[in-house]
Amino acid sequence: MLTLEGVHVNFGGVQALKSASFAVAEGESIGLVGPNGAGKTTLFNVISGVVRPSGGRLDFRGQSLLKLPEWKRARLGIGRSFQIPRPLGHCTVRENLIVAQRFGARTNDPQRIDEILDILNLRDKADSDATTELALTEHKALEVGKALATNPSLLLLDEVLAGLETTSKRAFMERLGAVRDRYKLAMVIIEHDIPTIAALCPRVLVLNFGQIIADGAPDAVFRDPEVIRSYTGETTL
Amino acid sequence: MKHAMKHAILGAALLAAYVGVPLLFGGTPYVMGLIVAALTIAGVALAWALLGNLGGMVSFGHAAFFGVGSYTSAVLSMKLGVPVFAALLLGGLGAAVASVAMLPALRLRGPYFALAILAYAHIFQILATEMTPITGGAGGLLSIPRFPTLFGLEFGGKTGGYVIILTIILLSAFAYDAVRRSAWGLALKAMHDTEIATRVIGVPSTHLKAAMLALSAFITGVVGAFNAHFISFLEPDYAFSSTWTVLPIAAAIFGGYRTVWGPVVGALVIYLLDQLVFKPILPHGHQMVLGVLLCAMILLSPGGLLPVLLRRRRSEGGRHAHA
Repeated sequence: MLTLEGVHVNFGGVQALKSASFAVAEGESIGLVGPNGAGKTTLFNVISGVVRPSGGRLDFRGQSLLKLPEWKRARLGIGRSFQIPRPLGHCTVRENLIVAQRFGARTNDPQRIDEILDILNLRDKADSDATTELALTEHKALEVGKALATNPSLLLLDEVLAGLETTSKRAFMERLGAVRDRYKLAMVIIEHDIPTIAALCPRVLVLNFGQIIADGAPDAVFRDPEVIRSYTGETTL
Repeated sequence: MKHAMKHAILGAALLAAYVGVPLLFGGTPYVMGLIVAALTIAGVALAWALLGNLGGMVSFGHAAFFGVGSYTSAVLSMKLGVPVFAALLLGGLGAAVASVAMLPALRLRGPYFALAILAYAHIFQILATEMTPITGGAGGLLSIPRFPTLFGLEFGGKTGGYVIILTIILLSAFAYDAVRRSAWGLALKAMHDTEIATRVIGVPSTHLKAAMLALSAFITGVVGAFNAHFISFLEPDYAFSSTWTVLPIAAAIFGGYRTVWGPVVGALVIYLLDQLVFKPILPHGHQMVLGVLLCAMILLSPGGLLPVLLRRRRSEGGRHAHA
């Protein structure tokens, strides 16, 4: 579905991504981990079109994404959330989803909006101001909801669980699982919490200093000495 | 019940505007002329506010659209014999096409956009002055065809002009309101704060902003074209005068630029007050009073006059309901 080959990104003299190569299959769930500043969000920005790569190949379902703006990528089926929630200003929760659906999916399906609100436990907040009247969990849920309303086939989730306390995190994880199963989505999830990633994703990618240093099943990846060193500087966890 | 009330008020307002005003002031061409001038400013003010509210762009260059609209319509009707009402629409189209030249400025934000569009306005003024064979150069165009008589209604006079500009404003306001209430309106509102967040959910933000610029330019162009046929004379310094930018901005801010009707109310109030009250008292320097009035409004009610009036009406309605 999504293929990256030798993608690199330079910010001035800093190499934020160094020859990143991997593929995401239809319906696959991948955890993307790595220390702060490893290039995880940059990778999402490249895939969603927010950042143009300095080189490499980026294809989605056989079509190159390199020259497509963000909004065209969204219409192709790439949905994303932001680490710091960015609700649409001056809009209610429902209006956020309506804008995403009308423009991203180019449909008008109130039933699907209600379904998304229900799955993400946002029905009671549907008419609340999205900027001022939501708690952190609800903001995170709305980020996922906006991406879902575009009818994506690939969902890029940037630390949607960060900052949530254990109970909320567990409930949110269940919702993410339900979303994935209900809409048969491929997902790439950036998350620091290793047990969470291991529970949600059968495959994990590890980024360090802009380079993919491990790619495989969680058990094997989290025992990899290079991965351990990238997190702790030690070779044992 | 609330809907019926709203429709009744709208109906009464339309009746007052289309029948009441001509009956009251039709016999005094001076006052009718002032009302038409105020509505001409109102049309530009409404288009300016549309661009600010929906497109998130502050323009200092609406005089360019006004001038291009007026020249396009005047030249088409004078040199190619295009019927005046068709030329009026083509004037709007001309201004919308001119806005395409300003598309590169959409990459700019805030004061940079405002200054860039001001520079564009100046370019169009120079073009109108230099393209003498078409525009008549600095001497301008004389005897521009007036509005014709249609279905027995004489549109060439003051009252006929009033009916035309009123209709232009009503149609523009309905178009503005329709866009504002649509998914486009929601996306445009959202774009002001979080453009990137709207782009990643499929909103072609630059296209939307360009569409708002074109719509705003079209309305301003039609108003400019109306003015050309109403006064029957044009010259570059007049058609592209900064007055067509400054007065509408002042009117929109005074009336409440965040509302659809605020700019119209603002234009009527400030222009008519200035001409009928301040000017007779202070023939030289009456604009100063206008300036003070505008400053007072910004300080006391930054949202403008219309929101204040609406709040007062609502609170009075609430008191009556409690009584």
